[in-house]
Amino acid sequence: MEARIVNKGQLPELLDKLAKDCDLIAPVKEETTTLFRKISGAKDAFLEYNNSDISPKGCFLPQNEKTFSYTYTGDSLEIVKPEGAKKTVLFGTRPCDIKAITTLDPVFEGVKFGDEYYSSKRENTVIIGLSCSKVLSTCFCYAFGGGPCDGTGSDLLFTEIGDKYYVEINTDKGKALVDTYSQIFSSQGADQLAKGKEELAQKLSGEFIRKVDLTGVKEVLDGNFELPYWDGDNYKKCIGCGTCTYVCPTCHCFDIFDYTTGDFTGDRIRCWDSCMYPEYTLMAGGHNPRPTRKERVRNRFMHKLKYHLDRYDMVGCVGCGRCVKKCPVNIDITKIINDLKEVAQNA
Amino acid sequence: MPNPTALTPYPVTITKIVDETSDVKTFTVVFDDPEIMENFGNKPGQVCMLSVFGEGESTISITSSPTRGKFLEFTVKRVGRLTEVLHQMEVGQKFGVRGPYGNWFPYEIMKGKDLFFVGGGFALAPIRSLIDYALSDQYRKDYGRVEILYGSRSYDDLCFKSDLFERWPSLSNTAIYTTVDRGGDNWKGRVGHVPGYVEEVAPSPENKFAIIAGPPIMIKFALPVMEKLGFKDEQIITTLEMRMKCCLGKCGRCNIGSKFVCVDGPVFSRAQLKGMPQEY
Repeated sequence: MEARIVNKGQLPELLDKLAKDCDLIAPVKEETTTLFRKISGAKDAFLEYNNSDISPKGCFLPQNEKTFSYTYTGDSLEIVKPEGAKKTVLFGTRPCDIKAITTLDPVFEGVKFGDEYYSSKRENTVIIGLSCSKVLSTCFCYAFGGGPCDGTGSDLLFTEIGDKYYVEINTDKGKALVDTYSQIFSSQGADQLAKGKEELAQKLSGEFIRKVDLTGVKEVLDGNFELPYWDGDNYKKCIGCGTCTYVCPTCHCFDIFDYTTGDFTGDRIRCWDSCMYPEYTLMAGGHNPRPTRKERVRNRFMHKLKYHLDRYDMVGCVGCGRCVKKCPVNIDITKIINDLKEVAQNA
Repeated sequence: MPNPTALTPYPVTITKIVDETSDVKTFTVVFDDPEIMENFGNKPGQVCMLSVFGEGESTISITSSPTRGKFLEFTVKRVGRLTEVLHQMEVGQKFGVRGPYGNWFPYEIMKGKDLFFVGGGFALAPIRSLIDYALSDQYRKDYGRVEILYGSRSYDDLCFKSDLFERWPSLSNTAIYTTVDRGGDNWKGRVGHVPGYVEEVAPSPENKFAIIAGPPIMIKFALPVMEKLGFKDEQIITTLEMRMKCCLGKCGRCNIGSKFVCVDGPVFSRAQLKGMPQEY
């Protein structure tokens, strides 16, 4: 694998150049919330974050997205699609969120039905990852085979070592970017820093506080839909706020509705939706296949730990810890995984 | 074939509207783009997303068989916001359609077999595409006897009356059984529920597929009857309904366990359903 070095002092120059040459999306801090936004230069970026409050999944599946505009005059019906995505660089993505994007890929880039809105952004975006420098108390990416310095899925991975970034080139797309800004990416001394990165990865992997073990969890959920465990406290505590689904980097459910701007003109919008809401499955005739929080909570965790695996051979959780941190009633997926493991052991 | 990766519908023009009941209408539509119409390629049992601009989209099954001509029929019950607006539309007006989506009735596997259809109320609509496919001039020889047992609350609530009382009985080797829950001055036929009538007609499971669609309560009571008659789970085929937004297996809500009704369904055999969570 090829690698380069970027001096920390030169990062602002790189970000300014990227912002000028294409759309640059990077972490920013708005009041107390860290999230990803298009920025105009290095001065807007907030790189001292541990994990953003809102994941960068919106770069590919925006919270609100126009799928087309329509004009109906009675005689004619005109449908206009938005233009495809611009060249974009997504900078500063943490390894768990990169993995989350690779978890979304099979949903939107499936063999049978792709999604041109997603694919257009995905193809036109270079993902620059940023290794973690710290492990938080809510982190558990290691449980799914990830790690604080794991660049799988990124085009380039930046790892901060002293006053330099060690840059791993993971794809041709990443290589092209490095070549374009070759005056910033130096290849001298990269080999020496490789060792530093390994040491950092090693050090961080020992810092996880949360013990999460998936052994036997999938097996206990297979063919055990009516597991008595789901009658327990989790759904009773849930207030159905939907926060877990909005902050989750792998949750991809969406709604589609019309935003009318005139009598027969308007935009068709797709926006994030949440399986925690009763309306999500409620049919016009009044029937609801998941009528209570019990079914909805079960569905969410079954989706993460079983359904996504069944369909795409990937766990639907990456261990970012956002739902653990943000749930107002402390429903904790790591506790659920460990509880299920216990159920499996006692079975 | 229309672009399967976009969420954009294709404009259609309404060419005919039939009032089936007080709250059910059948819309016949043709794509404005003849090429789309020609290559739409829908199979019996598939569904479409109907776009009513200003209201959004709704999943509706295609009730016409592709063998009947270059048009689509959608039988729509007035039940929510979108269908309310759709019901106000007139011949010549336009809405949008994208599809076809989902799987289809196993009409290849059904070849050489007799077909026994059981329908309740408005739910004759999704299985009518297969009835007309099997009864088409083109494919009639591929299937054995076609029997249709259909009931609704009253005579006024029976859908597809001209099919039931004129078109289908006139075709060779068919039998039509109709029943209503409540009789009236305009009904001289049988009065009673569908499951009881199935028991009375007592179709033999020999070399036969049963295709059932109806309200959950009808299905609940009809299935034990079918079982008693000797129908195996693999011989009983049904079609499910779920709330859907994309119909492409992405928006999430129509899952039953790991299956998405929009892409893995809506057609399932009873054997398949038994292997899935009872969450529909």
